[in-house]
Amino acid sequence: MPHTALPPASSTPPPPSWYWSLPYAAVALFIAAMAALLWLIHREDAEEQRATLITDVLWMEQNFSFQFERNNALLVQLGPELLADSPAGTTTEARLKRALDPESGIVRVLWLDPDGKVKGAAPPFTNHEMVGETTGTFPSAAAFRLARSLGRPVYSESYAVLENQTQFEVHQPIFEGGRHLGTVVGVYSLNALLARQVPWWFSERYRVSVTNNLGVEIAAKSKVSPLATLAYEIPFEPPGHGLNLVITAYKSEVRWIPLLLMGSLGVLAAAIVWSLWQLRRHMQRRQAAEQALSGEHAFRKAMEDSLKTGMRARDLNGRITYVNPAFCRMVGWSAEELVGMQPPMPYWAPEAIEHTSGVHQQILGGNAPAQGLEVRLMRKSGERFDALLIEAPLIDDQGRHIGWMGSVVDVTEQKRAQELARQQQERLQATARLVTMGEMASTLAHELNQPLAAISSYNTGCLNMLEHGSIAPDELTGVLQKIGKQAQRAAQIIRRVHAFVRRSEPKFETVDLNGVIREAVGLVEPDAARRSVGIDVDLADGLPPVLADPVMIEQVAINLIRNGMDAMADTPRRERRLHLATRAEDGMLVFSVTDRGRGIDPEVAEKLFAPFFTTKEEGMGMGLNICRSIAELHRGRLSFEPNPDGGTIFRFTLPVPHP
Amino acid sequence: MSQALAHIVDDDEAIRDALTWLFRTRQVACRAWESAEAFLEAWQPDWRGCIVLDIRMREMSGLECFEALREQGNSLPVIFLTGHGDVPMAVGALKKGAFDFLEKPVDDNALVDRVIRALAADARRQASEASQATVATRISQLTPREHEVMRLVLAGKFNKVIADELNISMRTVEVHRSRVFEKMGVRSAVELAQLLAQPRD
Repeated sequence: MPHTALPPASSTPPPPSWYWSLPYAAVALFIAAMAALLWLIHREDAEEQRATLITDVLWMEQNFSFQFERNNALLVQLGPELLADSPAGTTTEARLKRALDPESGIVRVLWLDPDGKVKGAAPPFTNHEMVGETTGTFPSAAAFRLARSLGRPVYSESYAVLENQTQFEVHQPIFEGGRHLGTVVGVYSLNALLARQVPWWFSERYRVSVTNNLGVEIAAKSKVSPLATLAYEIPFEPPGHGLNLVITAYKSEVRWIPLLLMGSLGVLAAAIVWSLWQLRRHMQRRQAAEQALSGEHAFRKAMEDSLKTGMRARDLNGRITYVNPAFCRMVGWSAEELVGMQPPMPYWAPEAIEHTSGVHQQILGGNAPAQGLEVRLMRKSGERFDALLIEAPLIDDQGRHIGWMGSVVDVTEQKRAQELARQQQERLQATARLVTMGEMASTLAHELNQPLAAISSYNTGCLNMLEHGSIAPDELTGVLQKIGKQAQRAAQIIRRVHAFVRRSEPKFETVDLNGVIREAVGLVEPDAARRSVGIDVDLADGLPPVLADPVMIEQVAINLIRNGMDAMADTPRRERRLHLATRAEDGMLVFSVTDRGRGIDPEVAEKLFAPFFTTKEEGMGMGLNICRSIAELHRGRLSFEPNPDGGTIFRFTLPVPHP
Repeated sequence: MSQALAHIVDDDEAIRDALTWLFRTRQVACRAWESAEAFLEAWQPDWRGCIVLDIRMREMSGLECFEALREQGNSLPVIFLTGHGDVPMAVGALKKGAFDFLEKPVDDNALVDRVIRALAADARRQASEASQATVATRISQLTPREHEVMRLVLAGKFNKVIADELNISMRTVEVHRSRVFEKMGVRSAVELAQLLAQPRD
């Protein structure tokens, strides 16, 4: 069964989209519930108000009915007395007065005979009070007839009178023993009725008005029109005839608590939503910042990891606090192993440990050069490499110096390339020298060939003549002279060459042989290190100075040392030791170079000093030749002998000048 | 007609002098030139002999001189004297028609032997050219009829056939024939054929 790798555990997954709408939904639900509750309360409240209104209206109507009943009863009581032809007694007066009391709403009482004629009125009236179409119809004949025929009180239609007043009548027929005595008419003033019959507490809360069948308000308790729309209308009966009693509440009662509740709820909900939104925004910002931070971190990490330059941070005591992967790759130790290490570090090459720790001290002392320092380091495998170290103080964000940051570049390849380039350059120069020498030799050959060829030709000619035996002595003399001249010419050419070679005459001065050799050793040391050749220097103290050309002597020393190193190319590494020594012997200074190489074969030994003889692939065969020439120039000698321990000893002697 | 000479071209006076002396000891007439330029200036197409040319000279080199001579139609054999390292050049020159080359230092008598051989070769060439010139002169002296008769004689036809072809009498043919032999300086048809068969080039 194929193995399926689990996907890498991701960091907390982003919340689904509904996650964030949940609180909003909850808030919305809450608000809706509260709103519904409030609405219900409000409605109940309105119902209650309405119910109160209806109750009040009914009470009002009741009140009017009761008043009308009482007045009718009073009129029935008054009727027979008023209709009797006898003058009215005190009782009647008192009753009349009571009927006309402002409280009753009746402004006038008429009494009519059975034919409808006005027999009297209290207070007396004039027609002037009538206006409009009511003129002449007062009292209402229709109401009179209806009341007479029905035998019960009948209300007339309302009619307008002066001063914008509305009046109506109630006709109360009076019967006595089944005989119609007449009719008592009570004239009501609607306005007065409203003014008197509506109590103060009622009119404080309600506006009471009466409208006719056209809906036109004909009387009202108050002139102030109400603001609220809560109103109730019931037919005004009696008197009827299309009159309506309209009760309007001045203002609905404001319920402060639910309102406050509602308001605070709204504010609260808004605050919750706002804070939620803010919270979410904050979270989003935070998340974005986190993402940016992790992106940045990843980028920096990638940069560090992909760097080819090794990076290493150390604290002020030189303890490693950080290394990047390139550094780990370079030295072969892991970051876990390296961090926390104290000097001396395991990657310092043991043979160069003094130099490296010197560099280390220099860095910690803050004296590291800006262009960097070169040190020899070692990989875990033991392989050595040269590194260029550039150190800079590590400053934290508060500006404190907390350690050292160093970049380490492997320059082994670079150095190797440089070395290769140098070698090639040398080889090229050698070739150039060779070419020049070859040309010189060729020119020399041609130059010398000419006189020699001439001599040869003269000579052959002479021989030819002698063969024939026909030569005159004079002729022969001339030719022989010519031969001599050509020989001279050849000699001159050779002299010229010699003079050319001699142009580099040595410049003699007083020289300390040991000093010259130390300098030479300093020059070849890097080469020796590269070839893993150890050089032992054993110089005798108190050597007398010699007269010599120091440059030439140095050249000899370098040549002999190089030859010694070349001779040991195949010697095992541990045995590659070159021994240099100086001694004073028999008025001569001896400089000896002893190698542990393979020695010199006898057939090679014969030609060793010959020009252009070499045993090396890249050699020119001039080194030892020149060395011997230099030795001879200094009246010294260059010789060699086999080393009893294997290898060869070269001796270069210089005479000590006599004081 | 000029004398056959070995022309020595070398910029080294001693060499010139020595070679002149050497050639004289072997009875070879010679003349020395101090530079290729001087020799080229003096050179004439009817010269006879040979040229001994040193390759390495200060001004114009021997090879350049050889090229210039070729362009001018020189027919004299050229012997190069080469120094050390010039052998490949000399071989190139040999392919272009040089007579020979000798590497310095030379065996002097061997050089003289070569020169003598070159002179002989030149003389032979000159003689051959001269004889061809003679034949041409003789042919030009023939009349058209004689020329016709000679052509038919060379074709190996008998007098009778020739007479028939040319529509002339046998006698006339015989006269023409004897005149041709006389003018061409031969005695028989075989000799005539031999004379004309010599290489013309």
